[in-house]
Amino acid sequence: MAMIQKKLREKTKELLAKKEVDLVIGFSDWTLPLRTTPIFIRTPEGAEHLVWNSFCENNLAAYLHKFSRLKVGVVVKGCDARSVVALNLEKRFPNHPPLLIGVVCQRLVDRKKVKKAVKGEILQAVEQGDLLLVKGENFEVSLKRDDFLYPSCQSCTHRTPHQAHILIGDPVEEVSLVETHPEVGEFERKSPEERWDFFEKETSRCLRCYACREACPMCYCGECFVDSSRPKWIEKSLSPSDLAFYHIVRAYHQTGRCSGCGACERACPMDIRLTYLTQKLNQEVKDLYGFETGIQPEAAPPLSTFDPEDQQGFIK
Amino acid sequence: MKNPYLPIPMILKKAQIETSDRLLRTLELGFKNKEDEESFRFIPGQFCELSILGKGEAPLGIASSPTEKGFLKFTVNKAGVVTTALHHIEEGSEIGIRGPLGNGYPINLFEGKNLLVIGGGFAFTTLRSLVAYFLHPEHRAKVKEITVIYGARMPGLLLYKDELLEWERRNDLKLVTTVDWEDKDWKGKVGLVPNVLEEIAPSSENTSAVICGPPIMIKFTFPKLMALRFPNERIFTSLERRMKCGIGKCGRCNIGHLYVCKDGPVFSYAQLSKLPKDY
Amino acid sequence: MKLKLDKKNFEDFLKSLMEEYDLYAPVQPVEGVSVFKKIEQPSEVNLTQLVPQKPAKDIFFPQSEVMFCYEMAGKQSRMNSMEEIKRERILFGARPCDIEAISIIEKIFVGEEYTDVYFLEKRRKTTIIGLGCNHPLSTCFCSSAGGDPFLRAGSDLFFIDLGETYFVELLTEKGAALRKNRFFKEVDPNDLTLVKELEGKAFEKVGYSIPVEGIEKRLDLMTESSFWDRVHEKCIGCAVCTYLCPTCHCFDMVDEALNNKGQRVRNWDSCLFPIYSLETSGHNPRPTGRERTRQRLMHKFNYFPKNFGRVACVGCGRCILYCPVQFDIREALLYASAKRAKGLKRKFR
Repeated sequence: MAMIQKKLREKTKELLAKKEVDLVIGFSDWTLPLRTTPIFIRTPEGAEHLVWNSFCENNLAAYLHKFSRLKVGVVVKGCDARSVVALNLEKRFPNHPPLLIGVVCQRLVDRKKVKKAVKGEILQAVEQGDLLLVKGENFEVSLKRDDFLYPSCQSCTHRTPHQAHILIGDPVEEVSLVETHPEVGEFERKSPEERWDFFEKETSRCLRCYACREACPMCYCGECFVDSSRPKWIEKSLSPSDLAFYHIVRAYHQTGRCSGCGACERACPMDIRLTYLTQKLNQEVKDLYGFETGIQPEAAPPLSTFDPEDQQGFIK
Repeated sequence: MKNPYLPIPMILKKAQIETSDRLLRTLELGFKNKEDEESFRFIPGQFCELSILGKGEAPLGIASSPTEKGFLKFTVNKAGVVTTALHHIEEGSEIGIRGPLGNGYPINLFEGKNLLVIGGGFAFTTLRSLVAYFLHPEHRAKVKEITVIYGARMPGLLLYKDELLEWERRNDLKLVTTVDWEDKDWKGKVGLVPNVLEEIAPSSENTSAVICGPPIMIKFTFPKLMALRFPNERIFTSLERRMKCGIGKCGRCNIGHLYVCKDGPVFSYAQLSKLPKDY
Repeated sequence: MKLKLDKKNFEDFLKSLMEEYDLYAPVQPVEGVSVFKKIEQPSEVNLTQLVPQKPAKDIFFPQSEVMFCYEMAGKQSRMNSMEEIKRERILFGARPCDIEAISIIEKIFVGEEYTDVYFLEKRRKTTIIGLGCNHPLSTCFCSSAGGDPFLRAGSDLFFIDLGETYFVELLTEKGAALRKNRFFKEVDPNDLTLVKELEGKAFEKVGYSIPVEGIEKRLDLMTESSFWDRVHEKCIGCAVCTYLCPTCHCFDMVDEALNNKGQRVRNWDSCLFPIYSLETSGHNPRPTGRERTRQRLMHKFNYFPKNFGRVACVGCGRCILYCPVQFDIREALLYASAKRAKGLKRKFR
């Protein structure tokens, strides 16, 4: 990872020095352990603040909408690169398609899981090889990194951002999931009643802060359906039906567009499980149309095209 | 304790479409309860939250003058959910109001001076209240000359046309109306409000100016007032912002440390020049 | 008056409170998430998370609250205001920062001219049992923001965790009403020493390193600073920081109606949402993240102090802990302070 970080800084420095881009969006260390923060670099010297580690949890493609007038370089993981491809297909970059600085992802550490594994506040966390050294005021433990991955990373089948213009790190052999995403499988094994209970229990904690929406690169509607007053689709309070409505529609709007990055779930302050819904839809789209978001740069998303050969079995 | 969020019931006595585009409707509301009427004291420039149950509330400046007893008048621009409902509501129906809210025009500061009133489009409502207040026999002597410049895109979009005709006939008020596009019967001026202001060039000496209109009009009128040497302290405007509570609690309408609903909506340019440009 | 409570009697003590009051305390719907909620069973109460996600303001100013119900019959209508609280309440286990924040919100909700009856009714009918913070987090900066980990102000009773027992102080008349509770015992002189010790340690840990004092004046000069051009860039415009903030008090009012019945509801709102200030005409006085972030920070550290003589921040650290992109309010404060500005410029490119 140290090598990746070094190359990342070199490449960024070069891109900015040669003015190939106006801005590079990447990750930097900041004030909390187990975290990084998005950073916006405009000068070659600024590249020194870039970091790469297992805490680079944001999908930086979400920022591209803000900088449509600039030539932007963006640091992307496999999943993030797929989002950019999907956005490009939706014609989100009429001026300057972003330059993708792809990093082969070692998969990310779930900070919430790590916190639950120790007693007391974590003050420092560093990676050493496959280990994660975690320190607090009265403790110091080393954890196996791979035991603490995000659910979306555990089932990741596209760690290498092949779509990137610049690829940093050596491509890895991707695993192919034999069966299904674990979180989807877990959900599917429940009875319909249990599924509803699970869904309702999860959404009952929702604050409607819309962190999941804002963290997602695909949620870029000028006016989200929850904010529309004419027509008013949904009330603004916390009734179970409104919460369910928001989460179902949010997930459905992602069909054939979600890269499964898991940024929505990570953004949630209330630890609401979200990816079992979107990953389920991803799986359906793959089964029905053989389509995976952002893998083939030219393939149109199945829900925005029509083909007489399309599966119709679900229309009853 | 009085619950400031509960509307008092009013009855829509009379409603009338004001303009040729049919987007402005004037509502005359009567009090349902006598006690509400007696306790409702306001000054020109204040506003109310009009409430349609099931739709919500919208803040609207009071267009009638405190000297006109027994009713309140509002002119509603059909734009959002509530204002559209206010366009459809039938005479005789109940409409809730909360108010009077806000500070209103600094009537006392105007006393003993000339008054220059500049209005554009449908922002003429509280200006109408202000002029009607000072035209009332009881108050006319409090200010010296009253000059009104009122412009709209076309003649059909001017508010309160009958009253404007009446004002034209008076000799204690100078009324200048202007439109961007005249029609064959138009007898007033043709041109933008800032240019008309420049042309008639009222003296700034011992004069207060009150200006209400679309932001673009205000933007270009303000330099003309500066050129006429109106000091910032004697130029007033009434601001509009998205509002909910109307009583300085819900947060959204602040400009710097001041709330448009509670500390405004009327501000002097001297005040505004010290605040962030969040409007 | 100083008393103590054996922890082995803790649940029975809570039960005894529930006989006369509705009890509100932190619970954990899932591990790692804590909120204040009305307690059905004493065993639900869970104090392990120092800073619950949802602050105690939720008890006085709920995220979603019916203001009044109405019914329409032809052209007439009937309204029924919903402010009345039937049963006295106890808020247990709120930390000093959250409790101080209640009095900050009170400054705006209970005004000279207009009083928010919904807030005041709950405030009046709630007895607050505060809980001292023996182990403040690294993100806590209450002392810098005018409070401290053991601040009693605002509490009617104050609990301090001494391990096996809680040290209990009755601070107000409302608090004294509980003095006869059968589970309270007399204190040992040793306990007082222990309290002093715990306080000392916590004060030292939380420190005074964040320059909040004088921030109002510094920000006066920064309204149009280029600082705002960059600091907002990483903000994604969600409402985590504002909803979880114990002092943020903005709300929206909406009607929810079906046929001839309905209710006017108020819900928390956030100045970071573009729609918050968007006008019907399409004009938005705060069109970008720059103006919205400026509003959030200036309101806390400049506008609110101008109106009420105190910053609208209690240093609880929620906005730091739960922000999806690690916007750190402390760094913004350090930046605004002349002393550290140079060193930090590097980081806020």
